[in-house]
Amino acid sequence: MSFPLYYILILYLSFLIVWAVFSFVAFYHMLKYGFRNFTTFFIIIIYILISVFLLMLSFRYLGEIDWQVNVAIFDNIFNNDFPYQ
Amino acid sequence: MLSLYRLPGNIKDEKVLKIYRRDFFVLFKKVLFFLVLSILPALLFYWIAVNFDEFIFQGAISYSLSIIFTSSYYIFIWLFFFFSFIDYYLDVWIITNERIIDIQQKGFFSRIISEQRLYRIQDVTSEVHGFFPTVFKYGNVYVQTAGSKQRFFFNEIPNPENVRDTIIKLIERHKRIHNK
Repeated sequence: MSFPLYYILILYLSFLIVWAVFSFVAFYHMLKYGFRNFTTFFIIIIYILISVFLLMLSFRYLGEIDWQVNVAIFDNIFNNDFPYQ
Repeated sequence: MLSLYRLPGNIKDEKVLKIYRRDFFVLFKKVLFFLVLSILPALLFYWIAVNFDEFIFQGAISYSLSIIFTSSYYIFIWLFFFFSFIDYYLDVWIITNERIIDIQQKGFFSRIISEQRLYRIQDVTSEVHGFFPTVFKYGNVYVQTAGSKQRFFFNEIPNPENVRDTIIKLIERHKRIHNK
């Protein structure tokens, strides 16, 4: 059985969507319930900047991978060529 | 957004005197916890590199999986730290010249705002319990009010004795003004 490597990338992207949704929920809480002051906005900006840095670093490394490669798994699971025969 | 000029259930001529959050050491413990979590993948990869074949991460699948795992891990650690910070940041106790307001964020979908008018307060108790609270001078303040309501609870705030004194002075001043 084999599948293209980019299937793993789709899984990762779905992970990122969940992360983005939770991040928006966090922003909503900060903006709705936090004090209207510099600290609240500063914290949100710091969160966005570090998130962008982490994503850019991830995309840089992920960009080096050839995602069209086929991955073979369980290829020898029913292999009957036992070495002692 | 919460504004100091428009508190929940605003009272005429009310002035905000003090705003308390949990002690900074509580936030420091959270930061330390997430720092430990952030070095775990590095330790894991080092352990694998030392104990297994050093080329284990050079295969197409293992390399891509390790990048995706590391990226997801750090992104979610960062998100959880932000959640944890919000929990710290949005828990606030506000003392005004008329009342005490307790704002508690419980997770993301539960927010409790309660208040006690100063004239209802009967007893204020401060408590510093444990090694770190004693060293860093933080603790709890319990405010007992008239009636069957639960005690008001300031959790892990800095200098609880000073907070207790402030509340007691405010109550006395409030009584003097309103008994004239």
